[in-house]
Amino acid sequence: MSAGRQEPHAGKQGPAKDTTMAIEAAKAMPTAIPEPVSSDPAYLKIRDLIYRMSGIYQPEEKLYLLVSRSARRMSVVGAKTASEYLEHLTLRGNRDAELRLLLNEITIGETYMFRSPPHLEALRNVILPQIVQAKSAMGFKRLRFWNAGCSTGEEPYTLAMFLLEESEKLLAGWSFDILATDLNDNSLEAAKAGIYGEYALRNTSELLRRKYFKVHDEKRLQVTDQLKSQIRFDRVNLSDDSKMVFLKGMDVIFCCNVLIYFDLASKRRVVQHFYSNLLPNGYLFLGHAESLFQVDDTFRLVHFPGATAYCKALAGAAGGGKK
Amino acid sequence: MTAQKLEKLQEQVKKLDSISTAPVILQPLLEILRMPAEKISFDKVVELVSYDGAIAAQCLRMANSPLFGCREVETVRAAVMALGLQRVRSMLFGLCINRVIPKDKWVFEPVAFWRHSLGCALVTQRMAQRIGYAEPEKAYLGGLLHDLGILVNSLLCTKDFRKCLQSATEQRRALHLCEEEILGFTHCESGKMLAEHWGLPRDLSDVAYGHHNVELLPAPQPLVCLVHLGDLLCRVRYLGYGYDEIMGMELGGELAWQTLAKTHPALADMDLARFTMDIDGAMEQIVATVDAVFGTAQSAASK
Ligand SMILES: C[S@@+](CC[C@H](N)C(=O)[O-])C[C@H]1O[C@@H](n2cnc3c(N)ncnc32)[C@H](O)[C@@H]1O
Ligand SMILES: [Fe+2]
Ligand SMILES: [Fe+2]
Repeated sequence: MSAGRQEPHAGKQGPAKDTTMAIEAAKAMPTAIPEPVSSDPAYLKIRDLIYRMSGIYQPEEKLYLLVSRSARRMSVVGAKTASEYLEHLTLRGNRDAELRLLLNEITIGETYMFRSPPHLEALRNVILPQIVQAKSAMGFKRLRFWNAGCSTGEEPYTLAMFLLEESEKLLAGWSFDILATDLNDNSLEAAKAGIYGEYALRNTSELLRRKYFKVHDEKRLQVTDQLKSQIRFDRVNLSDDSKMVFLKGMDVIFCCNVLIYFDLASKRRVVQHFYSNLLPNGYLFLGHAESLFQVDDTFRLVHFPGATAYCKALAGAAGGGKK
Repeated sequence: MTAQKLEKLQEQVKKLDSISTAPVILQPLLEILRMPAEKISFDKVVELVSYDGAIAAQCLRMANSPLFGCREVETVRAAVMALGLQRVRSMLFGLCINRVIPKDKWVFEPVAFWRHSLGCALVTQRMAQRIGYAEPEKAYLGGLLHDLGILVNSLLCTKDFRKCLQSATEQRRALHLCEEEILGFTHCESGKMLAEHWGLPRDLSDVAYGHHNVELLPAPQPLVCLVHLGDLLCRVRYLGYGYDEIMGMELGGELAWQTLAKTHPALADMDLARFTMDIDGAMEQIVATVDAVFGTAQSAASK
């Protein structure tokens, strides 16, 4: 799940479908290719600063996104140029606060269901078959997932629907539990209520809507009790070591667009917790624009079609399948 | 794979020129591909482009396209200047190949093939630059030409090769594994033959041969390793062969990666996650460039 409004520019790390669409679009009108609007090199500096501080990265071709996100903050603080704004982010007294506000613009909470099909494809095609095989050999039949920073619930409900759909195929005879945690009580309440409008459901097929939702009011649907019962919601502060040590035995952890708010030291600590909480060959998913470069070198970076993830494995043993 | 099969293939590759009507510019173009970039004469390229009306028109169209900022380019010379040697070279190569292979013999969607080839060229070159590889131009060429064997197989074993693609698509597996099963050889072997037949430099025929399996070469050179990684990265970023392969791979665990790291220590410090995001960012442009050249090139070439 990458930062909010990046997604509509399909092709990025979008699902195959989106890519085809992007390709179609590109075919139809090569004029639509964005010129590098942001010739001002100060934007590159802002980009690098954000990457250093939060781990969120914008490739050069997508810098126009950063330009539009910064624009709002720039007008609030009265910065006329990117360099002026860069000063706000580096020199002024409230630079940390400003960076946070900019990050909020960038990751603006536009989470929705099935936002990242490549993550699910990676689970379906590679990760789950691998884990299922390894666990079967040991006589286990249960999987554990953790959604850390679940916000208003779109992510964990998506996972729950995906797993339920798979439970007649790949996961036949298996059970699973999903732990979904966040720090924000309001978000957690909303997640537990499970009421969603068209925006959150825009990527959810008619079939799944009928299967896992009931009508709430004329504009919104609510998740069924069956779907709700797949998930355990809990308040967990990821910086709370005393709580983190008890969340063991995970097969897959999702922590998308959360660590960006952490400083390097706390980020390292959280990631180390994730590492020890994962079972061997378990996977950690981050947001699309996030990276653990220089945060951690125990996880192995694994590439999947349109997605990347971090694997707790021995060198050379991550991934799988013949290339 | 049997020795006879390969021998027979070798014979056929040698006769390739007589089977298909190679465009006149093929030989001079090959000469340019054989040369190191800095030795190529600008005039020679302009001459080559001018020789063929359809190709010249294509270059002009491309140079005037929004991708290049809608300049007002009126002469072939100016077009070559605007596009740059590298782009012109790949365009010439692509347009030339599109003529060598008749429409009914293309097993792949030509556009998918060129997206993969150009994508691989760009990704390999970017990676080469990132790790301080001495000849990024060469890396580009390696990426562009690495799948030559796919062209050979399309031309010489059209029917069986179609089965390979079909089976690879259905099973969502790597193409060369299906080739191994169905043809008894892969595009790596046939690619090497064509590269040799065309007199391309040794390092490029090594790329054609070893790009899926660097172990095949007694001492894999950095170029082969780079192309191997570039090919993999393209395939996990929707620039593969036009079908959805099931893949999950740790690049750092690849032999090619480890071999390359020995001669290019910068690789170990490379921010691969960020590099991948850069590729994601560049992808739309790669696709647009290819479609601008080859989407319309088909019609230009087939007339
Ligand atoms: C940008 S949202 C991400 C939501 C969702 N994962 C996505 O990618 O769309 C960030 C979430 O992280 C949560 N968060 C921030 N700091 C946290 C912490 N220390 N512990 C737990 N959750 C935290 C916030 O409450 C918020 O819901
Ligand atoms: Fe290949
Ligand atoms: Fe390839």
